[in-house]
Amino acid sequence: MTAGALTRLGRVPASRLKIRPVMRPLAFFTIAVVLVFFTMIYSRISLDRTAFEMHGIEQGLAQQERLHWDLRLELARLQDPRRITEAAADLGLVYPDERITIEAPGVITETDDGYPRWTASRSLLTELP
Amino acid sequence: MAGHRWRLQDLRVIILGVVFVVAWGGIGYRLFQVQGADAAELAERGFNQRVRHEEILPKRGTIYDRDGVELAITVYGSSLVADPAVVGDPAQAAAVLAPILGENLADLTIKLGREGRYALLSRGLEHAEAEVLGTAIAEADLQGFLLVEEAVRVYPSGSLAAPVVGLTRLDDGAGIEGIESIMDDALSGRAGKRIVERDGAGRAIPQGEYLIEPAVPGSDVYLTIDREIQHTAERALSSVMDQTGAVGGSVVVIVPETGRILAMVSLPAFDPNERSSLDADSIRNRAVADVYEPGSTLKVVAVAGALELGIVGPETVIETPPEITIADEIFADVAEHPRAMTVADIVAKSSNVGTIEIQDRLGNERHYAYLDAFGLGRPSSIDFNPESAGRLDHFTDWCYSTCGASAAIGYGIGATPLQMAGLYATIANDGEWVEPHVVAEIVGPDGSRISSEPRTRRVISAETAVMLRRMLQQVVEGGTGFRAEIDSFTVGGKTGTSDKFDVDLGEYSTTETIAWFVGIAPIDDPAIVTVVVLDTPTGFLDDGTELKFGGASAAPVFAEIAESALHQLGVAPDKG
Repeated sequence: MTAGALTRLGRVPASRLKIRPVMRPLAFFTIAVVLVFFTMIYSRISLDRTAFEMHGIEQGLAQQERLHWDLRLELARLQDPRRITEAAADLGLVYPDERITIEAPGVITETDDGYPRWTASRSLLTELP
Repeated sequence: MAGHRWRLQDLRVIILGVVFVVAWGGIGYRLFQVQGADAAELAERGFNQRVRHEEILPKRGTIYDRDGVELAITVYGSSLVADPAVVGDPAQAAAVLAPILGENLADLTIKLGREGRYALLSRGLEHAEAEVLGTAIAEADLQGFLLVEEAVRVYPSGSLAAPVVGLTRLDDGAGIEGIESIMDDALSGRAGKRIVERDGAGRAIPQGEYLIEPAVPGSDVYLTIDREIQHTAERALSSVMDQTGAVGGSVVVIVPETGRILAMVSLPAFDPNERSSLDADSIRNRAVADVYEPGSTLKVVAVAGALELGIVGPETVIETPPEITIADEIFADVAEHPRAMTVADIVAKSSNVGTIEIQDRLGNERHYAYLDAFGLGRPSSIDFNPESAGRLDHFTDWCYSTCGASAAIGYGIGATPLQMAGLYATIANDGEWVEPHVVAEIVGPDGSRISSEPRTRRVISAETAVMLRRMLQQVVEGGTGFRAEIDSFTVGGKTGTSDKFDVDLGEYSTTETIAWFVGIAPIDDPAIVTVVVLDTPTGFLDDGTELKFGGASAAPVFAEIAESALHQLGVAPDKG
């Protein structure tokens, strides 16, 4: 493009800068297409971002589930009678030579299998969330 | 263009134009090839590179005791693998890892220095152990190591009830012993399937995962085992085995009314978490696999049959000389007693001669019928595999001369401790045999529940059962089982001592015995039946009594276990 042509462009009258009426629909259409295009891109980005967030949440859930089972294992180990016996022995406790039985009315209740057993302390020990 | 002079710059333009045309033409052609001609094939190849068809491993069900405490549980652990080709200095790596893994340094160094791209160093690592290893690897900047997540089967109570619970294989997690094996189908669940798109680093692409079929977790199995009674029984049996030098022992504690097994002990046992402790002797569940001649504990069957049929009554007097001879074989009593005793006294004093006389009146055919009805000669339960059926030959195969007499006093017949528990539970349950079982309930992943439905059958009448219990009470209160007495509960039971058969010599040993005690408590309203068996106990009590006898070694163990179990179950004392 020559310098003369550029000069001529710089001196284009303002009236010639107006969009001709026949160009208006085309311009609007073009703008709409561009907007839709960017909207689709944004939607896709949002979808992918959500998918990554969901994946992160699923991984978090899996981690919590692992922790849940680890805690249940820990709880079962803590309730191991041998561990308790050893701990009791370390504390100086011994098995009694003599047992004294006190029968308290109303304490013994029946379980689902119809078998009477002490309920209060056992239910505390075995209560599971 | 006649007269046009080609200048050098014209030539350059032409050459440049040709180059551009060729280059862009090539690009266009390649574009057409990739996006057009080969598009389908390349897309499929790319798809196959990204997409994996994966199996979703189901989570194995948990085994609980009767209180809902885990006896076997699957957690998420890790395996440590190495790529020897990437490991820089095997010696250095081994020096870091060997102490943590508990492995021999030299062995680990060799493993890491081998040719190949894969070396499994340790598996079944729990979360805490894996963390320690991961930290050590990171701090030492070791290359070529990877912690692979995997499911790990853990037994929180170690050897407690191990022969009953069993164990699983390390590689595929399948049950190979005990309840883990019997209930493997229920515990295993069903694998699922999914399609996963992974990137070059193997990471799953979040929007590229498609679930075809979800995994179905395994069902949970609730046992009837009470872990505190189990622990008491194991402790008591272990103590007496140390005292007597017995090579093996079993205990079974059963609820007669329901057939539920509260404790089943087999020693020596194993720790399923420590694979190095496994051997054939310790894995075997002696309570269901070992067959012994019951000795005097089997006398109740002949007496039960004779009482039931009205052949004798508790006060019927029977001639009881010190010994009798049948076809050149002498059957004698161990202790002195009157030359005539009532049936009740015969049971209390465990008179061989008196029992043989009662069996003679009953007859082999009817005696066999009651032995069969009480559960001998066939497996007792579907919950154990393998479970021995014991040995009970059909009465038509019994020898004419001495077999009936031998059977009366518990010889020539083989029984497992579980079968004897079922036999005495029948007496405790007013004459009704209830199938012993250790599985209480199976709970599916959808919450559905399947409870055990034990088989039952009437063997003797309630009246006969009550008469027998009174006699068994006399065994403890005035007979050979006095060491089984408990302060706060009435007890009935039967001692038994059978000579051990030496397979190599083909004859009975004169020194080695199987010591039995089977007891019922409380005797009026039985809550539990307990069987104690000791294989080859030796030694003496302070009063000089040989520990090879059931009354000396097995009876006190019963007393300790039964008293503790009854208190544990909240059974009100009926004595004192």
